[in-house]
Amino acid sequence: MIIAKQMDLRSNLKHYFDLAYNGEPVIVPRKNNHNVVILSEDEYNRLNQNKRVTQYLSLSANMDKDQDSLSVNKGNVKMHNLEKLNVIKGLSENWNGNGAPPFPESLTDKIAAFLDKLIIQPEIFPTALCTIQLEYDNSRRDHMEIEISDDDTAEVFIVNFDGSELTGTIPSTAEAINERAGAFYG
Amino acid sequence: MDNHFEDNEKVYRAVYPPEVADIFWKRDGSISSAAFADPRGLSVDRGNYRSEKAVIISMQKRFQGRIITLYSKHCKEAGAVLRYAPSKSNPYHSEIHGNASTPLLSKSQRRYLARKAAICY
Repeated sequence: MIIAKQMDLRSNLKHYFDLAYNGEPVIVPRKNNHNVVILSEDEYNRLNQNKRVTQYLSLSANMDKDQDSLSVNKGNVKMHNLEKLNVIKGLSENWNGNGAPPFPESLTDKIAAFLDKLIIQPEIFPTALCTIQLEYDNSRRDHMEIEISDDDTAEVFIVNFDGSELTGTIPSTAEAINERAGAFYG
Repeated sequence: MDNHFEDNEKVYRAVYPPEVADIFWKRDGSISSAAFADPRGLSVDRGNYRSEKAVIISMQKRFQGRIITLYSKHCKEAGAVLRYAPSKSNPYHSEIHGNASTPLLSKSQRRYLARKAAICY
């Protein structure tokens, strides 16, 4: 963080804006401690997102105050996933406004069976490709997507915290997903 | 308007289905990359430097639901292609494609754009 006096700021506005844009917040001291901070829009959006995370975690903590671990909380997440899967089942033709087909029962049944057997519950999302995406995010800020279709294989996509990416396939079974998720969190 | 998008031009995406728009929101408040998978290309409205309020009002004539926004430069950074594709009912209609020959964004592009997207409504 850089501190810039108002006079400096006025005469070097572009310089300080460039610093802020490139990730260096600029603090401008003012009378009575009415200071302001200049941030890039990306940083501002990130902070807003973190704020929403904090609100979510706070909400979750209240909901689960008698539960002290993710594994204990698994039941709630699973129930949420099953409710969401029901919404996905109900999506009709053209649900994305661009011709996406409804989800076949064979796929939603397969996902329901997976959710029942998964040790670590993912977040689930529909795609307009007639697939269902399972997402995992770990504390290292790595991100993993497993895209499930009616096929016998599932596509895995991992973005590590450093931006490196991995892709691959695994058998489309709960056992294989459990193994992959275990490695991801391990 | 033509096929040229300046880096600082915003594009806006209506998140379908409007009746269950939260279906794409993750627990951390961000949007899932799943919302960016469309084999026909991702439909957006170009901002053309209109105020955000004006864009939202215009989009809400056709759609009631969540709206996210991206900068044109984010699409370029992802290696995606922005195409201006106006229709009779929507002169701002544009599409984000994976590349010049493939409308579908790659997994990497979807994830990148999801990380860059900001919720504006």
